[in-house]
Amino acid sequence: MMIKEVHMPKLSPKSDDYFFGKWVKQPGDTVKTGDVLFEVETDKVISQVESQEDGVLTAQKVATGDTTKVGDLVATIETA
Amino acid sequence: MIYFPLTSLDVSYNFAAEYYLMTQKHLQEPAFMVWATTPTIMLGKYQELENEVNTQFTSEHHIALVRRLSGGGTIYTDTGGCQFTLITPDNSGQIDFDDGLSLLSDALTTIGIHTKTDSRNDLIVDGLKVSGSAQYMTPGYRLHHGSLLFDANLDWLAKSLHADPIKLQAKRIQSVRQRTVNLKSQQPTWSTETFKTNLINQLVNSTHAKVQNFSVQESKIIQQLADNLFVNSAESQPKTQPYDHQQKVYVKGAGLIQVGYNLDNHDQIAAVQLNGDFFSNLEPQQFEKALVGTPHQKSAVTTVLQQQLQQAPIVGMTAESLAELLF
Repeated sequence: MMIKEVHMPKLSPKSDDYFFGKWVKQPGDTVKTGDVLFEVETDKVISQVESQEDGVLTAQKVATGDTTKVGDLVATIETA
Repeated sequence: MIYFPLTSLDVSYNFAAEYYLMTQKHLQEPAFMVWATTPTIMLGKYQELENEVNTQFTSEHHIALVRRLSGGGTIYTDTGGCQFTLITPDNSGQIDFDDGLSLLSDALTTIGIHTKTDSRNDLIVDGLKVSGSAQYMTPGYRLHHGSLLFDANLDWLAKSLHADPIKLQAKRIQSVRQRTVNLKSQQPTWSTETFKTNLINQLVNSTHAKVQNFSVQESKIIQQLADNLFVNSAESQPKTQPYDHQQKVYVKGAGLIQVGYNLDNHDQIAAVQLNGDFFSNLEPQQFEKALVGTPHQKSAVTTVLQQQLQQAPIVGMTAESLAELLF
């Protein structure tokens, strides 16, 4: 078992501050690589961020309406 | 490039047509549409209706309300303008407005309408906005859509978007107010229909687009998507939490635990709430009362939590692991 951290990726060349939209996966959900984890808005664009891991989402560190920066810890995934 | 003609003036149907192309058509090449709406207010995905719209005016004038799947601010559209949609297969996830805006502004220039791009990816004429753009992405595809004001009712636009500032709610995307102008001033003899036809013809010619119509079966699917995703979408919004910080965890043996908290100016816990489906006799109010006023330091918080959990343990949860949710 390993805990992998999910950090906010850089999606926009113009901005490092993203409006956190909503979680698609909930703590306890099984996630696979490529599954959409959450949605953010920046520069009038809605982006869906996919998991880079197979495992179980264990923690959400941010919530709808939060401002998150590139590199912020947003979630943890427990991998096998 | 594929051009999909879209003659519907129903904004929900037209947004559903976009979504159908994004998620079910499995496009292997870019596609575009040009379409229009009855008088309509379009909110950005994470905007609050009450923050942006004079709902009394829109109700009195039967102006449709809808929420986009894209970001950005609120706009007004009617048959005096048109909407454009460009869908591009793209796995990069990178934001890019340049391709779509170049395609559009080049086509406009060719038909004798001159615009410039500003820092918000809007098209402007003499500093006044004539077109706004927004995007959303799904795995494998990027959608860029926007508006073009040709002969829109700017009086209704201004009145619809005049929201009561007292109702402003935080933790939402706020619109950026910009002055607008119609493009008709550059081609005063054209009707909006002439403008739209000329624009479509130029886009089809410049991209050598194939024309493809939606089948009857596809139209049925699109109508279902419209009903499920867009009709009544303006009123619905994911709830924001009332706390500045929130964490939610799943702990094996304990279940889901959610903690929200605020800090005061002295970095002490000012308010806290504990929710979840964990098994415990813990009294949430007593737990919250015990934590308020505690310095926001892990050792201090852990000490308070140890005392609380001694009185009422949470199955599968230690004070240390619970304290992690407050940092």
